[in-house]
Amino acid sequence: MDLKKEQLLDIYKKMCTIRAFESKIVEIFAAGKIPGFVHLYLGEEAVATGVCANLETKDFIASTHRGHGHLIAKGGDLKSMMAEVFGRTTGYCKGKGGSMHIADVDLGILGANGIVGAGMPIATGAAFACKYKNNGAVAVAFFGDGASDRATFHEALNLASTWKLPVVFLCENNGWAISNSQKTHQNITDISDRASGYGIPGVSVDGNDVIAVYEAAGAAIERARKGDGPTLVECKTWRHRGHFEGDPGAYKDPKDQEEWLKKDPIPRLEKNLLKLNYAVQADLDKIKADTEADIEEAVKFAESSPLPDPQELFTDVYAD
Amino acid sequence: MKQMTYAEAIRDGMRVEMQRDPNVYLAGEDVAQFGGCFGVTGTLYDEFGPQRVLNTPISEAVIVGHAVGAAAAGLRPIAEIMFVDFMGCCMDELFNQAAKMRYMFGGKAKVPMVVRTPCGAGMGAAAQHSQCMESWFTHIPGIKTVMPSTPADAKGLMAAAIRDDNPVVYIEHKQLLGVSGDVPEGEYVVPLGKADIKREGSDITIVAWSWMMQKALAAAEQLAAKGINAEVIDPRTLIPLDKDEILKSVSKTGKLLIVHEEVKTSGFAGEIAAIVADEGFDYLDAPIKRVTAPDTPIPFSPVLETAYLPSEEKIIKAVEEMF
Amino acid sequence: MASVGIIANPASGKDIRRLVAYGICFDNLEKVNIVKRCLLALAVTGVDRVVYMPDYYGIVPRAVEGLAKAHHLSLDIVEADMEMTGTQIDSAQAALAMNQAGIGCIITLGGDGTNRMVAKNCGDVPLLPISTGTNNVFPQMVEGTIAGLAAGAVACGLADFPAVHRTKKIVVLKNGKPVDMALIDAVVLKDIFIGSRAIWDEERIRKVVVTRGEPDNIGISSIAGNLHPIGITESKGMAIDLGPGNISLMAPLAPGLIRPIQVAAYKILEIGEEINGEKGPLVIALDGEREVEVGEGEEVSFQLTFEGPRVADPRLVLRQAVAKGYSQGEQAMKKLHRLKEEN
Repeated sequence: MDLKKEQLLDIYKKMCTIRAFESKIVEIFAAGKIPGFVHLYLGEEAVATGVCANLETKDFIASTHRGHGHLIAKGGDLKSMMAEVFGRTTGYCKGKGGSMHIADVDLGILGANGIVGAGMPIATGAAFACKYKNNGAVAVAFFGDGASDRATFHEALNLASTWKLPVVFLCENNGWAISNSQKTHQNITDISDRASGYGIPGVSVDGNDVIAVYEAAGAAIERARKGDGPTLVECKTWRHRGHFEGDPGAYKDPKDQEEWLKKDPIPRLEKNLLKLNYAVQADLDKIKADTEADIEEAVKFAESSPLPDPQELFTDVYAD
Repeated sequence: MKQMTYAEAIRDGMRVEMQRDPNVYLAGEDVAQFGGCFGVTGTLYDEFGPQRVLNTPISEAVIVGHAVGAAAAGLRPIAEIMFVDFMGCCMDELFNQAAKMRYMFGGKAKVPMVVRTPCGAGMGAAAQHSQCMESWFTHIPGIKTVMPSTPADAKGLMAAAIRDDNPVVYIEHKQLLGVSGDVPEGEYVVPLGKADIKREGSDITIVAWSWMMQKALAAAEQLAAKGINAEVIDPRTLIPLDKDEILKSVSKTGKLLIVHEEVKTSGFAGEIAAIVADEGFDYLDAPIKRVTAPDTPIPFSPVLETAYLPSEEKIIKAVEEMF
Repeated sequence: MASVGIIANPASGKDIRRLVAYGICFDNLEKVNIVKRCLLALAVTGVDRVVYMPDYYGIVPRAVEGLAKAHHLSLDIVEADMEMTGTQIDSAQAALAMNQAGIGCIITLGGDGTNRMVAKNCGDVPLLPISTGTNNVFPQMVEGTIAGLAAGAVACGLADFPAVHRTKKIVVLKNGKPVDMALIDAVVLKDIFIGSRAIWDEERIRKVVVTRGEPDNIGISSIAGNLHPIGITESKGMAIDLGPGNISLMAPLAPGLIRPIQVAAYKILEIGEEINGEKGPLVIALDGEREVEVGEGEEVSFQLTFEGPRVADPRLVLRQAVAKGYSQGEQAMKKLHRLKEEN
């Protein structure tokens, strides 16, 4: 496993950035500063970060309704993201998408997606384009345990495996499909078990250990780049918050929540960094403070950005 | 010019564009060696090979869904859905993904893709293989809807659909596939949003498309013998709609009849009628009329199916009632 | 009253070695099927009670549910008295509970890693390990029905030495204190993280300590097997330093991965002998999985002992049982009736 000190500190910074971004959203959503729905990635930071640390700009991701983490990990610009969440013209989508539709096609981010399970066919198509152009790029479809029940999961895995496309199906099994625990919505516990039905490898990995995610996703991405076809990688994780902000998550057993909080991916990585003398506590504190400052700046940028002109409603429906 | 069937013209449109642009490819159920369920893709597999003409599993959601991803990633897919009736299986991919991606992303994505799909009754295929449902698609901002009625239009509109940077639903009528006509050879583009006056006339405007265009033309000939000179307009594309041409014609004739094969309620005729009532009310000297299928599923027995379909007789009767 | 324990690990056979090597994919439905075969066999051996480890998939309850409709299982099947954590600790907790409950034999479904956890707490209870993991030396590829018959025979007192025999183990000491153990191999890695746990890359291996090693082993112990084979019952082990040296050999390190190995030096270990002096930072893999992180300033050593778990060899067990007439005559037929099919 080839993670160098700088890479690992980079990964740490990305995770802290996601944490700071989402924590700030909790605050501003509660304060009524942003409209609509937000689904937060708190607790799942290791997955997006560990996966995207293996990706290049030319690679594609298809994200989910819980997409902020994926976007930050793939290199999304914090100010443009925050401005979008605020519905401002300076946002990634000029205020027309909001939290659930942030995209940056130039960075290979094919969008967060408001439809659970919709990203898998899209990533499959992007992977087809990579193979068609033979440019060595790959696509990753992020989706949750709930989405693995959708027909799109079956259709995408079936097509991608039949066509041997360079795509990784990256399941973030956070144990909950909205308010339904995994055992109430599927008759299996390891979603990786489904891979064999498509003739592809499937692995399960601790999704709260960024190094384990990095290794497993890295091996799957390497397979894709080599032309060996798709892989199903299941990262077992936990969302700290409810399904959306405003959902108190009353369906969760507090004991489970407590156990999972002990497995919080950020302190776990901190422990490693300290043990390896890659950083001292003051370094980590500084990284955290820096990311929080970046987020403050993004909020300032968003709040001081203009609201869209109502005429903007009518643009971008069609490409000319 | 060359004599071609409507099916050959669609194929020629795809062929020319595939030769012109290496990013164009075709994927769908049985479109490769088999040549398509209705033979439309024919020899394209032999001409372009397995990289560019691909059979898919029976998986409509990922046929359209993968096309969205491939289009966003720089290709120009043509996705075939074997019957328009199967669009229910991939509607999310069309109406929430393909149609909205550009808008949701603030204009920063392009989704240049064509969904080709056959429609129409008249072959005893019953309720799940015979429908016309164009208003499903016209109701979705972000996609364009194309319904050619002649071989030449079929080719030219196919080229335009492929070159368009938006998702285009291109609906082929099964009854027209074998109809022959003169078709320009080589590159030929009919712009989207440009209606065609298929028959000039002065007494009434009949707007019809796809197979119903042919019925309207035949009806117009019979009406001419009865002294009614109908102008027959084929919008060719419903979105974008060339409403100016329709309004211009109504301003001349003062009467409007709209014919379509889809069911009446919430059908696209209602939209055209509303536009003309709104923007051309002063031109009208009679109420706008519609000839459509009734609000029923499509029955199997030929007797029932004939009763279901709009026909020349029904068109003539409706026109006569307007005089 | 004879009782058998079942510890079936739902997580075995799913790690990254399915990507970096060609590890077997073992879905949990197949583990359920194996347990069904075990239960049907146990029912005819005279076992009355089965105690099982609870797991998040519910391997044993699903097996029981699947059988209940077709068979009348005259077995008392109960969950072990323990709290499920959903981690590898469960295997050790279950072994402890079964040991305390006086179980006669424990069937394990897992790999070397699963059995290592069980071995920590099973005391003198014999293990009958069925392989459902990736790199397996300790458990065997044994048919579930046969495993059930053999475990039942052990629990009913029909087998003894050498069919049931003691194994060796390696005690891992950090700064002189025992912190962990291995049944087959302890490996010093250049890695610094546990990460995805699995090991497959010979470039990262510094040192290997084994309790045994046969040329037909898969995994790290195959290095010893291809250097100087040591059997399961021999009173010795081996320590091998990897690196530039005179000996080069090939060894199957993981399924489908036969790799070149450079041996700098090796040493036969006597029982009780200790190998000292590996300084952190490094990671120790035990029975094929990265387990112990050794930090800077920490030192780790290994000691070979003959105090590993007792293991039942199904072939030898059943030979002894047959010799005692367990499968013949009226008694056997009566037992078979316990498993009558319901109409």
